[in-house]
Amino acid sequence: MTAVITAGFLIKIPNIPILEESARNLFLHVPMWFTMMVMFTMAFYYSIRFLNSEEMKWDTKAETVTLVGLLFGICGLLTGSLWAKFTWGSWWTFSEPRMNLSALAMMIFVAYFILRTAFNDPVKRAKISAVYNIFGVTTIPFLLYIIPRQLPSLHPGADGNPAFSEITAPELRLIFYPAVIGFIGLAIWLADITQRSKQLKARAAEL
Amino acid sequence: MNIIQESSPAGVDTLTQSYSDKWEGTQGIEQSSEFLQFMASGDLIFVVLGVSLIIWFILLFYIIKVDRNLSKIEESINSSDEA
Repeated sequence: MTAVITAGFLIKIPNIPILEESARNLFLHVPMWFTMMVMFTMAFYYSIRFLNSEEMKWDTKAETVTLVGLLFGICGLLTGSLWAKFTWGSWWTFSEPRMNLSALAMMIFVAYFILRTAFNDPVKRAKISAVYNIFGVTTIPFLLYIIPRQLPSLHPGADGNPAFSEITAPELRLIFYPAVIGFIGLAIWLADITQRSKQLKARAAEL
Repeated sequence: MNIIQESSPAGVDTLTQSYSDKWEGTQGIEQSSEFLQFMASGDLIFVVLGVSLIIWFILLFYIIKVDRNLSKIEESINSSDEA
């Protein structure tokens, strides 16, 4: 499965440079956020599974996908900042609600990892961080989708319309959707190798 | 808003209509540093390069980190085999 996902990702990359100018960033910047959303949804699911069953494997899985999701979120934030510099004229503006709220969302998940380091007892740590993670993931739709759409903003998707609507050209979509699938596949693969290395580590500790 | 909704069979360039007066990034770029001028040349294609490089390096950093973890585990397994 891993090989299939990686191959699919490699094939998709050469297709991307068909259109000109910075509109191509659509294939890179937007899938970052989609991928992050998928990863955090998985973290939400794993946290609930942990609270139901109290098996430690769900806790490590939740930690792994949160880490990968945070990684993609930081990618999205930095690429957005670079893109903004050359289209809006500034690296960062505090009047842009989507920018600031997504930075806030990233901080919520940085706090998740800080919280994890605060406990020595693994069961206690797993329980409290699972509860925190469920809370954190539920704030994401509000921070990234609902509030920015109610406020005026330069970012596409302000003033009540969705960001990715009929104003996007069809040939962009042709590459956009495979790019989204490719990046999500890459993220799942990254989470998978991290998870496997953690399992190995646990087994090595038993030896 | 209305402009976008009325004239938007996807081929029409509605993005430029509704946003170009707000996007001022390229104005005044001549007075800025050489690096910024370079980035803004070639229809902003270097911005795309920069964005892909950011993603590439962050993911690469992460993969290298996982790789290092694995080497550590290998070491500990090897040493426990010898013992």
